[in-house]
Amino acid sequence: MSDIQRLKEEALGKIEALSDLKAVEDFRIAYLSKKGIVASLMEKMRELPKEEKASFGKDVNILKQALTECLEEKKAILEKEEERRKLESEKIDITLDAYTPKLGTLHPLTLVQEAIEDCFIGLGYKIAEGPEVELDYYNFERANIPEGHPARDMQDSLYIDEKTLLRTHTTAIQMRVLEKEAHDLPIKLICPGKVYRRDNDDATHSHQFMQAEGLVVAEGITLGDLKGTLQFMIDSLFGEGHTIRFRPSYFPFTEPSVEVDMSCHVCHGKGCPVCKGTGWIEILGSGMVHPNVLKMAGIDPTRYTGFAFGIGLERVAMLKYGIDDIRDLYSNDVRFLEAFKRLD
Amino acid sequence: MRLSLKWLSSFIDLDGLSTEEIIDKTVKAGFEVADREYLAKASGLVAGKVIECHDHPDSDHLHVTKVDIGDEVLDIVCGAPNCRTGIKVIVAKVGAILPEVTIKASTIRGVASNGMLCSLLELGVKKELLDDDSPSLSGIEELDDSFEIGETDILSKLGLDDEILEIELTANRSDCLSVFAMAKEMAAILDRECTLPEYEGASDIGKRSDFHLESKTANCPHFLAKVVGSVTIKESPAWMKEHLIASGVKSINNVIDISNYVMLETGQPMHFYDLRTNPQRELVVVDDYEGPYTALDGVTYDIKKGDIMITDDGRPSGIAGIMGGENTKILDDTTAIIIESALFDGPTVRRTANRLGLQTEAAMRFAKGLDPLAQKKAVDRAVQLLIEYADAKEIEETVEWGKEDYEPYEVVETVEHLNMVDGTDLSEDDIVNVLRRLDFRPYVDKKGIHAIIPSYRSADIKIAEDIDEEVIRLIGYDDLKATLPKMPMTIGKLTRRQSLRREIRDVLANSGLHEVVSYTLGDAAMVEDELLPIGEAICLSSPLNDARKYIRVGLFNSLCDTLAYNLAHSNRDVSLFEISTLYAKEGVMKEHLAVILNGDLQSSKVLHTSTKADFYVIKGLALELLSHLGYDIGRVRVEVNDLDTVHLHPYRSCVLKLGKETLAILGAIHPSYLKSKKIEDAYYLELDLDLLVESSPSKIQAKKISKYPEVSRDLSFVFKDDIAIADIMRTMKKAGGPLVKHIEVFDIYRGDQVKKGHRSISFNIIYSADDRTLKVEDIMPVHEKIMQVLSANYGADLRS
Repeated sequence: MSDIQRLKEEALGKIEALSDLKAVEDFRIAYLSKKGIVASLMEKMRELPKEEKASFGKDVNILKQALTECLEEKKAILEKEEERRKLESEKIDITLDAYTPKLGTLHPLTLVQEAIEDCFIGLGYKIAEGPEVELDYYNFERANIPEGHPARDMQDSLYIDEKTLLRTHTTAIQMRVLEKEAHDLPIKLICPGKVYRRDNDDATHSHQFMQAEGLVVAEGITLGDLKGTLQFMIDSLFGEGHTIRFRPSYFPFTEPSVEVDMSCHVCHGKGCPVCKGTGWIEILGSGMVHPNVLKMAGIDPTRYTGFAFGIGLERVAMLKYGIDDIRDLYSNDVRFLEAFKRLD
Repeated sequence: MRLSLKWLSSFIDLDGLSTEEIIDKTVKAGFEVADREYLAKASGLVAGKVIECHDHPDSDHLHVTKVDIGDEVLDIVCGAPNCRTGIKVIVAKVGAILPEVTIKASTIRGVASNGMLCSLLELGVKKELLDDDSPSLSGIEELDDSFEIGETDILSKLGLDDEILEIELTANRSDCLSVFAMAKEMAAILDRECTLPEYEGASDIGKRSDFHLESKTANCPHFLAKVVGSVTIKESPAWMKEHLIASGVKSINNVIDISNYVMLETGQPMHFYDLRTNPQRELVVVDDYEGPYTALDGVTYDIKKGDIMITDDGRPSGIAGIMGGENTKILDDTTAIIIESALFDGPTVRRTANRLGLQTEAAMRFAKGLDPLAQKKAVDRAVQLLIEYADAKEIEETVEWGKEDYEPYEVVETVEHLNMVDGTDLSEDDIVNVLRRLDFRPYVDKKGIHAIIPSYRSADIKIAEDIDEEVIRLIGYDDLKATLPKMPMTIGKLTRRQSLRREIRDVLANSGLHEVVSYTLGDAAMVEDELLPIGEAICLSSPLNDARKYIRVGLFNSLCDTLAYNLAHSNRDVSLFEISTLYAKEGVMKEHLAVILNGDLQSSKVLHTSTKADFYVIKGLALELLSHLGYDIGRVRVEVNDLDTVHLHPYRSCVLKLGKETLAILGAIHPSYLKSKKIEDAYYLELDLDLLVESSPSKIQAKKISKYPEVSRDLSFVFKDDIAIADIMRTMKKAGGPLVKHIEVFDIYRGDQVKKGHRSISFNIIYSADDRTLKVEDIMPVHEKIMQVLSANYGADLRS
């Protein structure tokens, strides 16, 4: 075995035994730097006879290459190892909840209002609004609720003066739009808003609450169209697969008038405490716009017909989210509101 | 209304119909059935006779009895004081099921008892429906001799085998407060024949009368009076008592019962006066009486002008339409009566009844409206019954004031129009058949289908659409096809105001704030102590109470109260917002956004980080929100708050201006206000949404990003305290020119190193050009110019 061969064996053995990156660097300096052992072999080459120079030089180069490659390999392994140790030293307790970004919430009544609006925007409806301080002319007279009707009594409505009150229903918005757009038919709109009644607050009554009403006036609108439209709304509010039923009812501003029930969203019609065992839940009132209402707005009821419906936003929120006291919606306790952080 | 099925079956053959079917059909036709109850309900009853009755050896009130029930003699212990040998009793045998209890064989204080002797109350009969002298009120019921020992059909023989439906009437169907009209309706619903008693014209008899009748008020347009010179007061026939009891009316005597019974039948409230109390022989209706008056319930009421009163000889004799008077009422020894059947104005009667707190059956009926022909119908029926059941004689002719306001009329509807409204495909026969069931006596001609509307339906059925409703509600909605309107396409979208609102809500909710919806109405203090009220607060004329009397003119108090409520309930770090329209006198109406911040917006204790609410946080939130909405910092100016330093901290608040208008006010809430609300620390923003809606936002403009590197330089100067940073930065930007891309304050220092009344401000300036890499010689002159200007303009010293 030549000296070079021996040196190689010995050096490779040393590389094998290197245990950290510092030792790798020390080895590199000892063997492969400008003043290292391999460089000194090159120096030695000058002293050799001419004919030996070529093969000696070749052997030294092979040696240098072998040591370099081997050292790099070792270095890579040790670096990997070093990294692994470093990462291990950075281990944290992933079960700790150290930071929760705070997300706020939209009020449940806003969620319901937007859900209703979005459902009807998809059907090409506009969203109309109107004043809460309203003339009794729009609130009652135009809605076919004449003088002397109990609803106009001071006992039931919050009056400001003889002619002005806090609107008792969003029907007042419909009446304003009907008047304004009588010559710009058809009308397709949803009118959401706050309304007020002279009720004492308890678990099921609130002197302030919210409604969303819908109104369509065009040629050839039928009760069947109302049923189809409401079916669409209930499905989009409560999920597909609900059935609805009409029951005859009475509202001064519609004729015929119907009360609408939906199959219970909890038991799907089997009967449960939510639907009081009936399988049905009373959800809204509606009907065909009363010809007197159209006439007062200057619309020819022999040519045009329309439907209207009104739904209580609190009622929908209470049913959808399992709220049993309407006052919870107005307490604005953040512990209550937090529940509405998530996607509906 | 309470509908007795037994009474109903006297008009309609209900054979083959279960109560469930009747209820289902009634509900589908538009009448909610709120309740279903039995007048009495018990099984295992038998009539027995007490053949022995001894005192219980071990009790001072129990009796030990032997009761013969025909096929056996039972040992029964009974506690009723009226229990005695010889009486016939109702026996609930072992196994009998009563509303409250199931009877078991037992031992009572050592004595065996195999059954129970019953009071009617124990069978479920309501106390208020029993006669005052009924033995059931204090003991057990005593059966009369018509009962055979061993007889089991006791409830039916007592007329208590009735089932009552509590039917809710919609406002247009008050006609059904009349049992006759309800029977007609049920006949239509069930599609069966209806036979009502014949009584028309029964009162068209009597000798000439000099009775004086007069109404001095338009609120009594029609009045019928009739003197019956001789009646016999006695007990009512059993069937009448049964029907009264089933309807929830107590039986008193035949004459009073007839007035109540006729009211139930025809819907027309009646009143009978004792003729003895009216020597003047007159009834005069007035509405200008004032003073106390004692009604027949013994209570004295305060009558005011506007209340309709019946008078005779100048003194009151009854509160019209509500209750008769103590001084004119029928007594046990009454022998002659005056019948009153009149029409009083509903709203007036309702107002009086509400004010007096006297909600009688009569008042309710006037308030809801009557069959226009009811006054005459009621007199006819009452005279018929008085003759038959009260030996009425010496009858005088009916005296009439005014006239009934009714002309018979028809409503015409076509098959096409009906199907168009209802969305149905009904034939002429279908429609005619329904109208026939309703007794609208339909006939068809070229114009269409004619319906002759009975007087009692005249308030409700006036136009073709009313017919459409009648037809579809009796045919049923179950088969109605669901369709969608066929009409031109329209584009549904939100208005700018609606989009703005949604955007604001989303930004704020995503920033960790909770949206609240609070009450519009508040008390006087709330509107008097408001931050920048939009105007003078509107006061309700009919408030529920003082706490809900005014319409709010700002959102400050609402939001502070909501925050205080939350803090009082141990909630921490509560940040809220509300969007609401505000109203004030003279038609002022404004929509505002309000924000309140408290505690940490974001925080982590373990990581030792937090974003704590303060002036800069709420200002930054406001500006970033506005910039998001298209109103960037360049358009919105921050100015000193000189509008309200009572509710906001005078040195930690500002106003935001858009053009000349004040867009928002914001800042730390004043410590003394916070103290009054028991809030430690809070920051408030109120913004005029209308102003945003009215002014147009900037368009989005994309920016060209420079390819060349930026150069960053820091600069610290010492300024006097009162020099505003925004001013300094504006000056720096102007001096620096286009190469200055961005300036940011990164430190403010006050302390030993800096003169008193001064602060050191450190800026980071970013230089860059769009077309080249900046060299030192490009930047130096600009940077030095900035430093010169700062020294020159503010006397600021460079801090080394």
